[in-house]
Amino acid sequence: MRREHIVVRHVTKTYRTPSGPVHAVEDVSFDVYEQEFLTILGPSGCGKSTVLGMLGGLVRPDAGTILIDGAATDGPDPRAVAMVFQDPGLFPWRTALHNVCFGPEVRGVPRRVREEEARRLLEAVGLKGFEHKYPRELSGGMRQRVAIARALALGSPILLMDEPFGALDEQTRLLMGEWLSEIRARARKTIVFVTHSIQEAIALSDRIVVMTARPGRIKDVVPVGLPFPRDLSASAAVALRARLWEQVREESLRAMTEGQG
Amino acid sequence: MRLLLWRAAFLGAALAAWEVIARPLNPVLYVAPSSVPGAVLRLLSQPDLPPLAEHLGITLRTIAAAYALAVVVGLGLGFVMGFWPLLAQAYEPIIAGLYAVPSVVWYPSLMLLFGLGPASKVAFGFLLGFFPVVLAVLAGMQQTDRHLVTVARSMGASRWAIYWKVMLPAMAGTLASGLRSGLALSTVGVLAGELLGSRAGVGFLINHVYNLLRTPEYVALAVLVAAVVLVIDVAAGRIEARAKQWSG
Repeated sequence: MRREHIVVRHVTKTYRTPSGPVHAVEDVSFDVYEQEFLTILGPSGCGKSTVLGMLGGLVRPDAGTILIDGAATDGPDPRAVAMVFQDPGLFPWRTALHNVCFGPEVRGVPRRVREEEARRLLEAVGLKGFEHKYPRELSGGMRQRVAIARALALGSPILLMDEPFGALDEQTRLLMGEWLSEIRARARKTIVFVTHSIQEAIALSDRIVVMTARPGRIKDVVPVGLPFPRDLSASAAVALRARLWEQVREESLRAMTEGQG
Repeated sequence: MRLLLWRAAFLGAALAAWEVIARPLNPVLYVAPSSVPGAVLRLLSQPDLPPLAEHLGITLRTIAAAYALAVVVGLGLGFVMGFWPLLAQAYEPIIAGLYAVPSVVWYPSLMLLFGLGPASKVAFGFLLGFFPVVLAVLAGMQQTDRHLVTVARSMGASRWAIYWKVMLPAMAGTLASGLRSGLALSTVGVLAGELLGSRAGVGFLINHVYNLLRTPEYVALAVLVAAVVLVIDVAAGRIEARAKQWSG
């Protein structure tokens, strides 16, 4: 078996809100292997994003440990972990090129070096010729690709993606998924991907972690084991989809009836 | 272009109406527009009046000093308060409250403190211009998209980098609005100070010709001041619009 890249053990997070405590994540444990594509699947508000935020050092767990390369996390470490969010969060005053440069810039990489690297990455995400466009001049899919290039510019072995295609229309979403599979094959990254889309999870992942409705616990870990490129109409994919839907349906129903959906 | 025509038409109509109404009346009390160009020429050639260019220069320098002070102190205080949220929570309501007080009430005490010279005008221009600047910094910081800060943090940006590379650009539009209002208010402060009591500057000149009952010159000066302020404000407005567009 491959080496564990990320180890999550008994992690718990409760948010204090004016209307009382919200148990976002409770006793979650899982591993992510090196160069694995792991998807966290679950209903809305099940604490998926909280788990990802903790992996990225943005959210501090109340209890439990998170080890990355065997070391405990303490705040964001962009050399090890890069993040992509549902909202691309591009800086509107920066061109595509200078958005991609941001990470290396705050790290003190010389301008020539970081711009050259940013050009290369924009070309890799299919945005050659858009270097000097501002985010408002780009489509939703293009913006998210700039955000992915910006994350790749950190050069970290781990990429965390929080519903990165959630805000895109169905077609763009499918194309972006195909494109991500290609990128992934070349970039040799460990990827943790959060989504509520079963199709997306099956199309992209090596393993799928299914989370329960709040408080988020792990319900099941499902290996996908289908060859790439994936044919979602193959019988194995359809069967997997039915199994996952059964589990997600239960949790979504529970979330709905508890008024949390 | 069409907008310009409409504006020119309105201006022309207003001037024409003014001329028609003022013509038959007492020229000392009702200055007709047609008498203004002559008055401007008399002001410029200054056969018997204090030199206009010199007084205009004094006023502009006083405004520059007051505004520079307002910007430096306003930005400084704004950023310090932004850096320590407790300070902002404690003092922002006080600053906002003081801003709401009609500032003219402070002027007599400033005259007592700083005398009739330019210092009291600088102080008053500063006092008026300072509030919009500091309040714009605070508003800008609160308006900064938290998600952009999170994104920057995930890329390893330090607190300083977040200030300089995220918050400052994100608030550029709001800041530019505050700086523009500050400039307008600093100008008002200096001119009001000069009108309320001074020995130099355009405000002094206005009082001077007014007391001599040379109303065409008085109107000419008022028009001149309006023109200068308008040019400055249009330039500031351009800068503000660009800043807003830039920071998205």
